[in-house]
Amino acid sequence: MTPALQLDGLHKRFGKTEIIRGVDLSIAAGERHAIIGPNGAGKSTLFNLITGRFPCTSGTVRLHGHDLAGKAPYQINRMGLSRSFQITNIFPRMSVFENIRCSLLWSQGYKYSFWNMVGRSPELTSKTMELLEQINLTSRAELPAGVLSYAEQRALEIGITIAGGADVIMLDEPTAGMSHSETDYIVDLIRKVTQDKTLVMVEHDMGVVFGLADRISVLVYGEIIATAPPEEVRANPKVQEAYLGAALQAEH
Amino acid sequence: MTGIPDSSSAVSPANGNALRSSLPWIVAVVVLLVLPQVFQANSAITILNQMMITIIFALSYNMLLGQGGMLSFGHAVYMGVGGFFCMHVMNLVEANELPIWLHVLPIFGGLFSLGLATIVGSFSTRKAGTVFAMISLGIGELVAACSLIIIVFFGGEEGISGDRTYFKPFFGVKFLQQNEVYYLIAFWTIVSALLMYLFSRTPVGRMANAVRDNPERAEFLGYSARWVRYFSFCGAGFFAGIAGALVAINFEILTETDLNLGKSGMILLITFLGGTGFFFGPIIGAIVFTLLQSVLSLQTELWQLYVGALFVATVMFFPGGLAGLLMMHQPAMRLGNLGLLVVPYVNTLIPAAIGALGLAGLMEMLFHVRHAAVGDIEMRLFWITFDSHTILPWVIAIATMITGFWLAYRNAPKLRE
Amino acid sequence: MDLVAINLIDGLFYGLLLFMLSAGLTLIFSMMGILNFAHASFYMLGAYFAYQISLYLGFWAGLLIAPPLVGVLGALIERYGLRRVHQFGHVPELVFTFGLAWLIEEVVKFIWGNNMMAYQEPEILKFALFHIGSNSIQAYKVFMIFTSMAIFIGLLFILTRTRIGLIIQAALSYPKTVEALGHNVPLIFMGVFGVGTALAGVAGVLAGPSLGTFPGMAVVLGSIVFVTIVIGGLGSLWGALIASLLIGWMTTAAASSSFQFATLLEFFGMTPPADLDESYLRDLWTLSLPQIGPILPYIFMILILVLRPYGLFGKRDA
Repeated sequence: MTPALQLDGLHKRFGKTEIIRGVDLSIAAGERHAIIGPNGAGKSTLFNLITGRFPCTSGTVRLHGHDLAGKAPYQINRMGLSRSFQITNIFPRMSVFENIRCSLLWSQGYKYSFWNMVGRSPELTSKTMELLEQINLTSRAELPAGVLSYAEQRALEIGITIAGGADVIMLDEPTAGMSHSETDYIVDLIRKVTQDKTLVMVEHDMGVVFGLADRISVLVYGEIIATAPPEEVRANPKVQEAYLGAALQAEH
Repeated sequence: MTGIPDSSSAVSPANGNALRSSLPWIVAVVVLLVLPQVFQANSAITILNQMMITIIFALSYNMLLGQGGMLSFGHAVYMGVGGFFCMHVMNLVEANELPIWLHVLPIFGGLFSLGLATIVGSFSTRKAGTVFAMISLGIGELVAACSLIIIVFFGGEEGISGDRTYFKPFFGVKFLQQNEVYYLIAFWTIVSALLMYLFSRTPVGRMANAVRDNPERAEFLGYSARWVRYFSFCGAGFFAGIAGALVAINFEILTETDLNLGKSGMILLITFLGGTGFFFGPIIGAIVFTLLQSVLSLQTELWQLYVGALFVATVMFFPGGLAGLLMMHQPAMRLGNLGLLVVPYVNTLIPAAIGALGLAGLMEMLFHVRHAAVGDIEMRLFWITFDSHTILPWVIAIATMITGFWLAYRNAPKLRE
Repeated sequence: MDLVAINLIDGLFYGLLLFMLSAGLTLIFSMMGILNFAHASFYMLGAYFAYQISLYLGFWAGLLIAPPLVGVLGALIERYGLRRVHQFGHVPELVFTFGLAWLIEEVVKFIWGNNMMAYQEPEILKFALFHIGSNSIQAYKVFMIFTSMAIFIGLLFILTRTRIGLIIQAALSYPKTVEALGHNVPLIFMGVFGVGTALAGVAGVLAGPSLGTFPGMAVVLGSIVFVTIVIGGLGSLWGALIASLLIGWMTTAAASSSFQFATLLEFFGMTPPADLDESYLRDLWTLSLPQIGPILPYIFMILILVLRPYGLFGKRDA
């Protein structure tokens, strides 16, 4: 079976600095994969390479076996990959309901039609309501998204990300800047909405990572030093060194 | 939270609210049918015609600015070009006695402008923001300059004129009267406004909002921001062309002033004045502006100064425009305590209005003293004739202004509460 | 040959005038992200203020007093108008400056009326400095060219060699950081806006006598200034200079040429239609370069935006 997502020899250079230095990774369909690593390891850059926001310097990204090179974000999205952003990235002036409905449009086959009325379709409305129910924002449906609380905006962001029905979901630090109770809420939400899907997430909160992920990759200075199930990663001396900074001293 | 409807009303499909959502349209149709019976004077009909054309034009502009987040400085191009094309069609009909009804002429205008928009849009909608604004400015200047060079199409300085009465009579109507033209324009106003409203409810219309708010995120929903902008742009061009066709029908002449930068700037001001955040905003803007233009310009030479001041004040204090101002009262209306606002409003607005009148009087006198012919010291203001070179009227005007503004200033804090 | 020399001087004159406007505009843009549509209106105000002052105190007093006056007015508008609108977002800001341009024009009409003012160059500079062929070059024109060059050099010196210039340059890229370092960024913004509008004022004072002082003078230059900074690259002072000169030479050369497009058509072997007055192509046959001269910059700008959106010297997207 082809992996859901496969990275081969990925490199990214900004000017002279090489941020991503040869990443190989294979993520199976249905897997929940977390990418961790110290600050500045290149996690977000890796994310942006996979989703087509930046072009790679070299290497390939394959989604279900299809090469993503040169594809625009919207094309990648149509192939079944959806992502959230580290900084909350919603449509602030539109209502919460509208945010979700817009995210559903393409996958529901509306495309660029200007003869269909979106309000006319009961399925679209009920699908939107279903999703709002899932992310617990039903009572906020009519509010402009910009006035929601931070945790609610993050929940909406996850809702927008999964709405299109993509089977590979990529979340960039979904719990950043949240309190404990908010984090628990979001983790439950993620678990609920990504059932039967492939999840790739970048996360700082180790509690979240070890609770959610099937496998974890550790990214240090643009290279993956370990990919393994949570217990093994926890026991891996290289990972501990990287996090304690001992690896640095050993090199010098 | 107050003012938020329960979720059921938010989600009930359109057919549940069919009556509620079509009510404004029925009211609009009735109002448009009744208006010419109320205002029968030819001059009033002329103003109404102009108002309706401006409404279509402003709504089409808001497809760009309000819904798509594209600031255009050259939208009049699409109105003007559509109008010029219709003028040629009109002359062809006259020369060849073609059996066409005048009613279908706007479709020609719309399609011609749509054609131009598909060409220009193909490179101008790649980016929003400054790039789009500057390209629109460039195209605007370019076409305006071309209109003086390409005489075959634009007729140079004197423009192109035609005669609408050579079309095939529509059940005996030959469009000799302003009145008959009124109904034709009213028909197209309703149709265009309805179509533009419906466009905003289509997938592309909804995504236009999404692209306006956050183009990058929209791309990760499977939509190309560029294509979404392109569709909005073409749609806006089409309806601007319809407005242009109605200009051709109404005035029977088009000149360079119908497509130059001044006209484009004016529609930007009108749309913003009305409010870009709501569908009906530009309609309010068009109505208010046309009234100001036609009523004030009869009363004073300074009307553009007042309109300019009003506009700058709107941007500074009510960025949501008049529509935004109206909608601010919606929560109060829901709670049913709009009545509570009446007293503070009266207390603030009446003195403010008096103060503004005093200021206007002062301006008028200043203007008269500075610019009237030497020896002409008589002026008429507010139906009173007096000598602008004596001290008394000045004292009165200054006193009115100061008292008015002082009272308004004193009462304003109460209004905010 | 004489014609080329004359054109070079005229183009330089026009280009440097454009530059004085576009320098301020591009500074304001790169600093505050505002495309100030009212910029040319400040140029107009400069001319009118100088005219009014020159009535009582003469030309030189006008040249000295009017620009600071315009600058103070600009700073006040920034402080009490723009800064307020800034919080509403980018589009309201642009729309505000657009409305301001309208308002300033109306105010000028209100105070000075619709006619052209009798604003003249000073008597000392009213002579022909030298002759090229049968054409004389006015001393005033040369004076203007040197003044604007001095301003450019002064500006460059301030921006690259002085402390305040360094702070401004830093604030261009990292306003937050500069603020954290203890500099009053809003004050710097107000200052830059004031200086930018004052520069436009200088241009107005200088151009008033030769191009005419009338209420439409802002509109005449308004959009061409935008074209200049877009072509040069938004935020680039050098770009503004080069683009100004380019446009100056391009338009003067086109205006003085006698080139007919018919020549070109005939060169390609086409013959004019017999019934020229009836033909749909008659405009093509009667077209001449001076006619399309004024629109060349716009065509140039559109091409630039489509092919290279950051302009000739810009570092970032327009």
